[in-house]
Amino acid sequence: MIFNSEISGEQQHTTSPVVTGGSVIALVYNGGVIVGTDTLCSYGSMAAFKNVKKIAQISKNTIYASSGEFSDFQQVVKELAKIDRSALQYDDGVHPSPKDYGNFLARLSYKKRCKINPLYLQNVIAGFHNGERYLSLVDIYGTYLESNFITTGFASYFCKAIISNYWNENCTLDQAKQVIRECFKVLFCRDCRAHDVIQLAYVDAQGAHIEEPERVETKWDFNGFKSRANEKLHTQ
Amino acid sequence: MLKHLYDTDCVTWSPQGKLFQVEYAMEAVKQGSICLGLKSNDFVVLCSLKRQPSELAGYQEKQFKIDDHMAIAIAGLTADARVLCKYMRTECLEYKYTYESHHPVGRLVFKVAEKSQHKTQSGAKRPYGVGLLVAGIDPNGVHLFETCPSGNYYEYKCQAIGSRSQAARTYFESWFHLFEKSTLEQLILHGLSALKKAIMEDEELNEKNVEVGILGKNQKFIHLNAQELKDYIVKLETFNANTQIQQE
Repeated sequence: MIFNSEISGEQQHTTSPVVTGGSVIALVYNGGVIVGTDTLCSYGSMAAFKNVKKIAQISKNTIYASSGEFSDFQQVVKELAKIDRSALQYDDGVHPSPKDYGNFLARLSYKKRCKINPLYLQNVIAGFHNGERYLSLVDIYGTYLESNFITTGFASYFCKAIISNYWNENCTLDQAKQVIRECFKVLFCRDCRAHDVIQLAYVDAQGAHIEEPERVETKWDFNGFKSRANEKLHTQ
Repeated sequence: MLKHLYDTDCVTWSPQGKLFQVEYAMEAVKQGSICLGLKSNDFVVLCSLKRQPSELAGYQEKQFKIDDHMAIAIAGLTADARVLCKYMRTECLEYKYTYESHHPVGRLVFKVAEKSQHKTQSGAKRPYGVGLLVAGIDPNGVHLFETCPSGNYYEYKCQAIGSRSQAARTYFESWFHLFEKSTLEQLILHGLSALKKAIMEDEELNEKNVEVGILGKNQKFIHLNAQELKDYIVKLETFNANTQIQQE
């Protein structure tokens, strides 16, 4: 994978991201794996792009999402799609399994980290292969971890309690969806770079299903807000 | 094979549309000692006859493990085989490093074929003088491939290459319909029977000049050791393909 900076000779190193995506939450359920993200790309503290689809389908039974620098996400999607297309070139019908993609991404991230020019991403790869659920996290350093549930970004701080109280690895798809929606509700309240429109995608034996974005339920009609709004200023 | 005009290099066609250098390279494969392969639904077996250059020498090995799930048997120039073997092993290691899974067999054979073809289209190169029988297991199933110096590759249910391989192929033609459902032991005995057809009258199969390698869905590639070979050669005396039909 050759980046333009390497061709031009000006070696630049990614020290901080510019356009960033927020938390990713992924859970396994009894029939597959589900991934949720919000649809916001922030430009620093500005909520710049509010309708961004951040879950990509890599192959028939693999989906990919990440938080961090969004241009890196787009490039990784291209690189992973290239691998899937190789089946066409070799004409042998052999498609990589989700685990192959996870390991490839781990090697790629590690290589770039070693050159002090990382892919500024926390990556989540989810899939369903040969009757088995697959979910892994590849972080900015190239660390590869398989798990039953993954959270990136602020979700790691706010959402683990919700997940451990309301989710188990054999819950139904609807239960898992509710848990993720609840997590993003909390994130919208507490994470400054979060958004209330989210997108869910799941992979099961039939393949990958990416749903349309939906708005999380939020409640703003608290009495405190209403009466405060009617208070006259400078009464104290 | 007689000498021909238009055979000086690879970049010259003959008027009959042949590349003689490639054909000569395939002759080198035919001069190598026989090796054969056969597969069932679950196993692939490679059998070869090892040559001993002289009484003082050891026997030339003909089967090499590429990875846990893949092995080759060679016929032809051993030095060229070493190059291809090293290439295949490196490719498998790289694939495993990147993807943590086994290199798909057909894909590696394709890569070897590409490499071989490249040597047939250059003025300064010569084709590889070795044919490979590639045995492998991958999610698509059990495979047996043959590669040629020409850069062609073919998938087989069973195949024999090298010296007097036609005799072994004739045996296969009669009995290959039994192989799919054969047990491992039956498959090995079929392989050895075919090998027996291809040896000279004054030769005999023994544990020194026969090499048998097996590969299965749950069986990494291994060679049979000397004792196991002895036992199978003894069983060969009483093995009859006809009895297998009666069992089924």
